[in-house]
Amino acid sequence: MDTRTVSFIIRRAIYAVITLLILIVFIFVLIHVIAPNPLSLARLYAGNPHATLSQLKGVVAKYGLNLPIYLQVLDYTKNILTGNFGYDPLHDKPVITLIGIYLPRTLEFVLPGITLSVIIGLFTGAYAASKRRKPADYVVKGFYLATWSMPTFLLAAVLQLVIAYDLGLLPAIGMVNPTLTAPPDVLAFPILNAIWARDWVYLVSLIHHMILPMIAIALLSFGLITRLTRSTMLDVMETDYFRLTLMKGVSRNKAIYGVALRNASIPLVTYIVLAFAYAMGGAVVIEDIFSYHGMGYYIFQAVFNLDYIGILGTTVIIAIAVIVANLVADILYGVLDPRVRLE
Amino acid sequence: MIEETGFGSKKESSVPKPKNRLIEYLKIMIKDKTAVIGLVIVVGFLGWSVIQGILELLFGTSGPAVALLPHNPFNYNLVVGLHGPDLTYLLGTNANGEDILSRMLYAMPRDAFISLGVVLSAVIFGGILGIVAGYRGKYTDEIIMRFTDAFLSLPALILVLALSVLFNETLSGVILALIIVWWPIYARFFRAQTLKIKNMDYVQASKLNNVSFLKFFFSYLFVNSIDPVIAYAALDFGNVILTYSTLAFLGIGLEPPIPELGSMAANGVGTLPTGWWYAVFPGLAILIIVIGFVLVGDRMQDIISNRINY
Repeated sequence: MDTRTVSFIIRRAIYAVITLLILIVFIFVLIHVIAPNPLSLARLYAGNPHATLSQLKGVVAKYGLNLPIYLQVLDYTKNILTGNFGYDPLHDKPVITLIGIYLPRTLEFVLPGITLSVIIGLFTGAYAASKRRKPADYVVKGFYLATWSMPTFLLAAVLQLVIAYDLGLLPAIGMVNPTLTAPPDVLAFPILNAIWARDWVYLVSLIHHMILPMIAIALLSFGLITRLTRSTMLDVMETDYFRLTLMKGVSRNKAIYGVALRNASIPLVTYIVLAFAYAMGGAVVIEDIFSYHGMGYYIFQAVFNLDYIGILGTTVIIAIAVIVANLVADILYGVLDPRVRLE
Repeated sequence: MIEETGFGSKKESSVPKPKNRLIEYLKIMIKDKTAVIGLVIVVGFLGWSVIQGILELLFGTSGPAVALLPHNPFNYNLVVGLHGPDLTYLLGTNANGEDILSRMLYAMPRDAFISLGVVLSAVIFGGILGIVAGYRGKYTDEIIMRFTDAFLSLPALILVLALSVLFNETLSGVILALIIVWWPIYARFFRAQTLKIKNMDYVQASKLNNVSFLKFFFSYLFVNSIDPVIAYAALDFGNVILTYSTLAFLGIGLEPPIPELGSMAANGVGTLPTGWWYAVFPGLAILIIVIGFVLVGDRMQDIISNRINY
């Protein structure tokens, strides 16, 4: 690696840290705007609207809510960076423990869903670009417009209605057959746990329940990926090197799927992060409809019960996940495409 | 583009008088069939929202406010509870026997005005911040853009969700949350445009002419950067409606008994699989509205970036 690449990576890493700090301070300021004095703050942290004054005073002392504001900012930042997101009063557990339980369940169907949509979206995008302004292009366009503009709850409800209720192919709700006993939690991810314990019945049941949410996530990000791939492909197909490839006598299909698509898929790393961020939002609705108890369910519960600590903790976690993913994507992009480093 | 530089003034007299720009624009727009579909949906939706919205503002939930609807959307009639779609109830009824079509039509003005308000505020805030960042450069630029990045790094839905919970899940809280979250992308647009135009001759010339600061800001920088923003904004109305209805689906920002498309869908999901019409139709309405905005926005983007032949 030359010095330019190294300085590029360092610059990006500094930006990522600054971004995260700004978000943390922003959330801190917001909390203090809605709860301007220590006692009202304590009420947020206690999570119990009927807490007595002495209980609230205990909370104030415990969290240091009457310290000077700059000390509180430092405390808050330090807590978040050391993984202390507070104590969820609703579930009576630390937020980080709850996220440790729920996040793997969500990632389990979000990551395969995104992978699926990236693989399919790349090819449909390239196909649409190669058939530009022909009926096939319009069909693809209609399909991605529809999935892109569709409210997530409609998508999930229709999937549930048709595939689960009408055709009876897959279970409509839940995470796993409730009559089965879960294997011991060794590897955090339920699927890995089942494989670890060699509990194949449990594994099959898990996968059965996962397919519909996964398809919903895949369809959700399919529109985004196809659209971006199509427009990048159109740009690549205007370039001189693509024309040269055609002039050399390479067949059109080979030129499109071999040369153009390979170049158009460099920005893919950025799309995946975009799709991931988008899917985390969609997961809240999807998990609610499929009664899938993951991160989205946790957020939904927090929203439903005005559990501020829970909602802020999950927001910060998702923020960190997206910022880190962005950083990795930026660096990969810079390594793959030298032009990016020159900015 | 119409030539507006002083150098061409003599030539202009020999050129035919420039026609109304808006009409020209519309003419190019409707050459594309999909854009016509989008335009019809958007105009229908906005037109209905203005008429019904005024009635709702004046009369609330009774009398003339429900006169245009096929049924009274607040009429409980348990006899026809969860009635499938037929000729009397075009889109069926919910568990209370309230007509779903009427409730959807009653709910639409709110979505229209919220999306209009949020996008407008985003254009204004984003415009001011983006132009200042692009024009001043250096540290100002760096600070504003870092804030913009921080906001853009989170999925909009998650941030809006967290903010509206902090604002106690009221409707005004939801609108405030949307406004806080929506400006950054516009700041990026305006900054990029400002960087492009700030060294152009006519902008430099205006400085020599001693144009007042406000005039310089709005009629030189703002107006000349707004073209690509308008195309994106047209598409963005749909995004706001999607996010807002998702919040309503999660039960945030509701003001019972006023119906809301998202919350209707949420209640409908509870009646699956029997009452499928209750879950599907409100969502379908949102889908159609959003597609309308996307089609119009796509076409506008094509026109502005000169990707089509006139």
